[in-house]
Amino acid sequence: MTTSSSGSAITVLTRDDISIATRAADKFTQLYYATYDSPSRLADLPNFYRPVSSLTWNGKPLQGSDGLRSLIEKMPPTKHEMQSFDCHPIPGASPPSLLITVSGTVIHGKPTQHAPGQRSKSVEGQSRVFSQTFMLVPDSAAAPSQPGEPAKYYIGADALRFVG
Amino acid sequence: MFSSPTPAPGSRTLASNALRNAGLIDRDAKMRDATDKPGGRKGSSKTRSHRTRPIDVYKDSGPNKSGSSSSRHTLNSWSSHPTFILPSAANPNLRSTLLSPSQLSARMNINSSHGGSSDPLTIRGASSRPATAGRLRRNAVSGAVGTNSPSLIPVRVTRPTLKGVEPWRKLVQKRWNSATALLDLSNLIEDEIVKQFNLLPPGHGGNSRDAAVVFKLAKELKPQVQSLNLAKNRLNGQHLSQLSHYLPGLVNLSLQDNDIRTYRDLDFISGKKDKLTGLKELLLAGNPLRDEMMQKDAEQFKNEVSRRFPSLLTLDGQPIAQISFDVSREPNKPLTTALEPSSTTFPAEMSGSLIVGVDGALLSTFLVRFFSVYDSQRAALNDAYDATATFSYSCNTSIPERARTLALHHKLPNQRKLEWGPWLDQGNAGSRNLTRLSHSHEKQVQRLFIGGEAIANYVSTLPTTKHDISGPPEKFCVDCFPVAHGGLMGLLVMVHGEFTELPAEGLRSFDRTFVLVPAPEGSRAKLSGWDVVIISDQWTIRAYSSPDAWKPGPMIVQPSAARQTKAGPPANSDKGSTPTILSPEQQNTLSQIPEPERAKVLHICVRTGLNVQFSVDCLTNNGWDVEKAFANFEQVKGTLARDAFL
Repeated sequence: MTTSSSGSAITVLTRDDISIATRAADKFTQLYYATYDSPSRLADLPNFYRPVSSLTWNGKPLQGSDGLRSLIEKMPPTKHEMQSFDCHPIPGASPPSLLITVSGTVIHGKPTQHAPGQRSKSVEGQSRVFSQTFMLVPDSAAAPSQPGEPAKYYIGADALRFVG
Repeated sequence: MFSSPTPAPGSRTLASNALRNAGLIDRDAKMRDATDKPGGRKGSSKTRSHRTRPIDVYKDSGPNKSGSSSSRHTLNSWSSHPTFILPSAANPNLRSTLLSPSQLSARMNINSSHGGSSDPLTIRGASSRPATAGRLRRNAVSGAVGTNSPSLIPVRVTRPTLKGVEPWRKLVQKRWNSATALLDLSNLIEDEIVKQFNLLPPGHGGNSRDAAVVFKLAKELKPQVQSLNLAKNRLNGQHLSQLSHYLPGLVNLSLQDNDIRTYRDLDFISGKKDKLTGLKELLLAGNPLRDEMMQKDAEQFKNEVSRRFPSLLTLDGQPIAQISFDVSREPNKPLTTALEPSSTTFPAEMSGSLIVGVDGALLSTFLVRFFSVYDSQRAALNDAYDATATFSYSCNTSIPERARTLALHHKLPNQRKLEWGPWLDQGNAGSRNLTRLSHSHEKQVQRLFIGGEAIANYVSTLPTTKHDISGPPEKFCVDCFPVAHGGLMGLLVMVHGEFTELPAEGLRSFDRTFVLVPAPEGSRAKLSGWDVVIISDQWTIRAYSSPDAWKPGPMIVQPSAARQTKAGPPANSDKGSTPTILSPEQQNTLSQIPEPERAKVLHICVRTGLNVQFSVDCLTNNGWDVEKAFANFEQVKGTLARDAFL
C-alpha cells in the first residue's frame, strides 16, 4: 500500500498497510452506517457504489449503484449498531483491496412501544443480527485528490445477511 | 503552511529577560502549577461560574499570590475601567513588591496581622466575603512558602470582560490574513497589544474561557478561518475545549510548542461529535506528549493521532496515508430532494443461498473439506492458505435480542458452560474485533496472521470445534459470487452457520468470509488437492442465534406493519434454495458423476435441497433439463419423504 510502489504487486504487508487499512475500515464503517441510517440515504448511499459493484441482500442479487438504490428505496428506516468489525488488506494489488466484515444489529421501522416492565414475548419487531461483508476497491479512474491519499475507494462487493 | 512571526529561538532569552525585568516571568512558572494541577487548589474549578467574577482573576493568577500584589488584581478587575487603569499606576508598585524575600516576609506579616479592612480584597469592596478573602490569603501564604519563591508575582491583569474584549478584537484583526484565511495567534504573550492592554493570553494566565473569547472572535471573521496558528502559547487541552465549537471548519492547525501532555488533551479537539472533522494538517511538535511518544514509538504516535482525526492528511509535515470515498456528506446539506424512508415492508423476502459464477461442486468440495480438516487436524490447513493469505477472527460477544427472547441460552443444554475467555485473549493474540482495539495499534498487528504456516499454527491453538456440515442443511447458509482479484477472478464466499465448541459442547454461531482464487498449477495447494486457495479468511464468532434467521420467506418489519400488509400478495421470490455443503458421502456420490451432468445435479441440489440421488433421478426423468426438473420438483415436493432431502 505504499504509494511509491504503485503498479507492482505487493506481496508482503507492512505495519503501515495494516494501519491504513484499519483506519480506512474505521472511517468507512462509521460513515456507511451513519449514511444508511440517515433520512437522506437515498441520495447519499449510492455514492459509495459504482455500476460494476456486486451486491447481495439476503440472497437477492443486485447490480451496482442502481441496484442499491432500488433496494433502499423500499427499505424501512434502519438503525444499525456495529458490534464488531475486522479488516484485511488483500495482498496482490497496489494499493490493495480491503476486505471488511461487520457483525452487529439492525432494527427496522419504528419499534413497538411496550408498557414499562412488560417485555415482548415475541421476536417480531426486535433487532436482528446482521453480517455484512464489503470488498473495498481502489478506483483507478479517480485520481487521488489529496497528498498521501493512496486512492479513492468504492464498494466493489457487498453481501448482507440477517443471521440472528 | 504556517509562517510564524514569533522571534527566532535565540530571542527567546531576550524575551524572558524582558519578562523577568517586568516581574512577570515567575508568575508564569506559578501559573503552570495552577493550571496543570487543579487539584492543588481543591474545589476551585467547581466554584467557577460562567460569569466572569473578579475572584476568578485572583484564583487564576495562582495559589501563591500575596496581599500586596493582589491589590493590583483587584485594582484592575474590579475597576470600572479594567483595561486602562493599570500600567502607569501599578508598575512601580509591582516592582517594589516582587523582588526581595524580605518583602515577601513583610507581606506575610501584613497578611497575618491585618484584619479585613486592610486586605486589598476588602478595600476593593469584597468585605461581604471575608471568609473567601481569608482563605485566599492563606493560600497565598502557603503557596509562597511552599514554592519558596523570592518573587511572587502577579501581574498584569485584565480579563476579556465586556469592555476587555475590544483589545482582543483588535488583536485578532491584526493577526488575521483574510487572503489566506490564516489566523496567526502564535506567541500571544509577545504581542504589542497584549502588552499595551495587559491582556492575559490563554496559557499565560488566561483560562479556557478566555481562550473561548478569542475563538469566538475568530469565528466572526470573514471568510471562515481555515488555518489557525496557536504555536507558543503554553496551551493545554482545557484551553482548547471550545476550539472546535467555534471553529469546526478548521483545515490546518498548529499547536506547536504548547503544553499538550496526554492523548486526553487531544480529545478536547478530536472525537466523533462536533469536533474538528475536517482537519487535514496538524502540527504538534514541541509538546510534551509528542516529545515523549516519539521516543517510545513514533509510528504508534502517528497512529494514535491519526485515529483521532480521521480526515488528517499530514502530521508534523509527514503525510498520513488516507483512503477516501466519493461521498458528499455536507453537514448542512438541505434535504429538500431526499425522501425520508417510510416503508413498512422489506423490499424482498429472505432468499436461500446464492451461488453465482462458480461451479457449485468446486465450492462445496472446498467447504466440506475445509471444515472437516478445520475440525480434525488444523495443522494440515497450511496448504489451504496462500503464502500471503491473511487470517483473523473477531468475537461479537453481544447477546442477540431475539435469541434472548427465545431463551435459547437456557433451553439448549450446554450454553451456560461456554466462556468467551479462551477466545478473547490467546497469548499475544486473540479476538481482532476492531471496535475494541482502536487504542492499540500493536494488537491490531499482532492479531492478524499472514501466511499458511503462521495461520495453521495459530488456529491449532484455538478452541476445538465441530461443524456439523453433514447435518441439517438449513443450519448453514452460503453466499458466493466472483470478485476481481488483481488480474484474476477470485471468489467471495460468505458462510453463516453454527459449530459446537468443545469440550463444553455448547453452540456458537459464526460468519466466515473467504476470498478464494484458483490454485496455481504446481502450487502447494494444488499438490495437496485444493483446487482453490485461500487469500483471506475472516471469521466472526458470536453468541448462538437460531438459523431461522435466514429461513427463506417473507420477513416482518414490525408487528403492526405486518398486520397492515397481511392482505397484500407475498412478493415473488426464488424459494427453496439450500446450502451447498454436502456430507462426505453425498460429496463422494457427486464426484462420481461426470461433468457437465455434475454441475446440473449440484444446481438441483442447491435449488431444491434434494440429495444427490434424488436430484439425479429428477434430472433423468426430465431429460437433464434443469428448468423442467425444477418445475417437476415443485409439483411433487409435498409427496417426497424426508430422506429425499439433504
